[in-house]
Order: sequence, then C-alpha cells, then structure tokens
Amino acid sequence: MHIYDYIVGAFQEAPFLIQISLVVVVAMIITIVILIIGLRATRSLLKIKDKEIANYKTQYEALIVDFLYSGDDSDEMSKSQRSIIIKLKSGVRIPSRQKSIITILSSLMDEVSGEMSDDIKSLYRKTGLAGHARHRLKSKKWHIVTKAIWELRQFGVYEGQEEVSKFITHHKREVRKEAQLYTVDLFKFEGLSFLDDLELPLSEWHQLQLLEALMTEGNPKICDIKPWLRSPNVSVILFAIKLAKIYNQFEVKEELISLLAHPNKEVRSAAISVLNDLFGYETEELLQLSKDAFSYEEVHVRTAEL
Amino acid sequence: MMKRHKIVLAEDNSTLSLLLKYKLEKEGYELLIAADGKQAIDLVESYNPDLILTDIMMPYFSGLEVISHVRNKLKKKTPIVVFSSAGQEDMVLKAFSLGASDFMTKPFSPNELVIRIKRLFSEFKTIG
Repeated sequence: MHIYDYIVGAFQEAPFLIQISLVVVVAMIITIVILIIGLRATRSLLKIKDKEIANYKTQYEALIVDFLYSGDDSDEMSKSQRSIIIKLKSGVRIPSRQKSIITILSSLMDEVSGEMSDDIKSLYRKTGLAGHARHRLKSKKWHIVTKAIWELRQFGVYEGQEEVSKFITHHKREVRKEAQLYTVDLFKFEGLSFLDDLELPLSEWHQLQLLEALMTEGNPKICDIKPWLRSPNVSVILFAIKLAKIYNQFEVKEELISLLAHPNKEVRSAAISVLNDLFGYETEELLQLSKDAFSYEEVHVRTAEL
Repeated sequence: MMKRHKIVLAEDNSTLSLLLKYKLEKEGYELLIAADGKQAIDLVESYNPDLILTDIMMPYFSGLEVISHVRNKLKKKTPIVVFSSAGQEDMVLKAFSLGASDFMTKPFSPNELVIRIKRLFSEFKTIG
C-alpha cells in the first residue's frame, strides 16, 4: 500500500509535462502488450488453419487418386468410386474443404491429360462442384464470379454457357476476360462470336490468351474472320489479323489489302506483315500500288524487309 | 522372382506424385518420391535407382541440377525423363545437353508415361 501511495503521490507532485509523458508511456506499453498477445493468437490460429488445410489436402488427395484408379473398364462407376463421391460430397458442403478439393483437382488438371483429365472433369461434376460454381455466378462480388467462371472453364462445364455469356461485356475487366476465355476455350471459334459487336478493347495479353485457348484444338473449324477485319474496334482487327496469319487465311486477301489504308498505323503495319507472310513477293506489288496510303518511311522500311 | 525396377520421382506437386506412385506401383515398379531436387539427389545417392523422373522447376535444386549431379558428379548413366511445361523448350534442350534421356510436356497422360518407361528400360537393357 505504501508503494502505491508513494507512486500516486509522486505522480501528482510531478510537473504536468512529466505526468503526460508517463500516461503516454503506460498507454504505449499496454498497447504493445495487447498487440503481442493478438499477434501470437493470430499466428496460432493461422498455424491451426494451415495444419487443418494440410490435413484436408492429404485426406482428399488420397481419396481423389483412389477414385481415379478404382474404376473398372465399364462406363458405370464402381462401388468404391460411389462411396468416394459420397465422402467428397460431404466435404464440398464446407467452404474450406471445398477449397481444398478444388485446389487438388485443378492442380491435377494442369498436370495430366487424356482419359484421366476426363475422369477429373467428371468427378468435378459428380461431387456437385459444378453446381456450386454455377450458383456462385449469382454473387455480387466480382472476384467470386471470376473464380467461378475460371472453374467452369478449367473443368469444361459446357452447361454454364448461357449464364457465363452474360458476363462477356461486364464492366469489370477481370470478369469480362474470364468469360471470354471460357467461351473460346470451350467452344473454340464458335465462342469468338462475341467479337462481332465488341466495343471494349482486347489487350495484347488477352489476345494471346485467346489464341492459346484456340490452339488447344488440333483440327479447328475456322469460321469466317472477314467481319472482324472490318470491325470498328482496332483491337478486334489486330486479333483477326493474327488469326489470318496463324491459320493461313488466304481468302481474306481483299480485306487485308483494304486494311493498308486503315487510319491506324499498327493495323496497317500488321496487315503488311501478314500479307508478306501469306503472299510473299506479291506483297511488294501490293505495297507499290497502295503506297499513297503510307508514309514514305513506312513503305521504304517494309519494302526493304521484303 | 523378377527384380522390381526402382524409380526416383522428383516432383513438387504432391497430388501428381501420389497419382504416379499409384500408377507405376500398379505396373510393378518401386517408387521413391522426392518433393524437391535436394531430396531427389539424396534418394539417387542412397538407393541407386534404375530410372529417374524429374520435374524441371522444383525447390532447392532444379531438375537440371539433378541431371547435372547424376551425370557429372555421380557419373551414372541412369535414364532420366524430364517433365516440362509449355514454354520451357529451352530448358528441355538444356536438359538434353546435360544428359536427359527423354522428356514429357505437362499435361501428360500417365499411360503414355508408362509406355515410355517400358521403352526406356528395354532400350537400356539392349544397350547395357
């Protein structure tokens, strides 16, 4: 009691500035102690969560691999596969477990192909994950919608086309990009129909992603790209020029020639490059004929390239 | 009784490792799994496997370093199959110049891998 009285007395007798300093110091010590305790608690919680995720991963990894190898030669699912699906379905209802299952399936999709990737896609549907992803398309949060579209694309869920197509012109770039990739990855050239009336620009990176999605098909059914070469959207024209080059579209010669007079320099340059690739020496003649449309420097450089 | 071929699989994707372990053990091989390049080198040194399957991109030591260690330091002729991803063509060329025997681009079919392994063993047997 003496010590307490002494401290209180000393504090009251101290100058005002010292009193304020002491209060600040004590408040800071209390704050630091609270922060340390909070930090330790958060770390412990994160550790527990990480451990839990690792446990789920081990548990579901084994179940999924077991599913993939426990089928017989018939199209019907084996008894053991059916029991695995029941177990996975119960996990899918819990968000953290659902996340683990999706992570495992998508990491496998990146690594294996052939029959096994078809089995993974079928497992994704049978566990109800496809339905969950389609349900998440109704979310108001753009990142949840983007992730759901990505999942539907990754696992080839064609039934989501109608719902996903609503996002093709979404105001948020990420959502729109993912929706466009979904349609092209799953429906190839047919999925490119959104280019017909696309007003928003396609970035260079996105164009490359679309081309990559198209190229996964060995024998593509190429549609008519002429309307895109006449598009008012410069990025659509540039993308169509890339298609003409990659898929050797000799039949779009007239459209490519008309692009030599396009007001955009990048379009003109790309048109010359693809004409040169497709028609070789003929391009020199074409360039001579349409040189009025270019600057002297452009014609000179391009002719020298030929 | 026929000797079971020992295979070291160096792959940092645990799900793929487990999947290949199932597949290859079903085919009668003995699988030793390494989650990174360092573990792979340890396994190769301790168990002297008949075949090495290695991913290119791995923690600690890359697949290229594993090949280099096996060929230059351990002076072993063990066949090595490299797993690469799209866009890693330069790495594959480097792997071949270091002494890799074959490569597979991800995503790949586990059935195709089995065929390649069988072919490598039969070639190795003929040469050996």
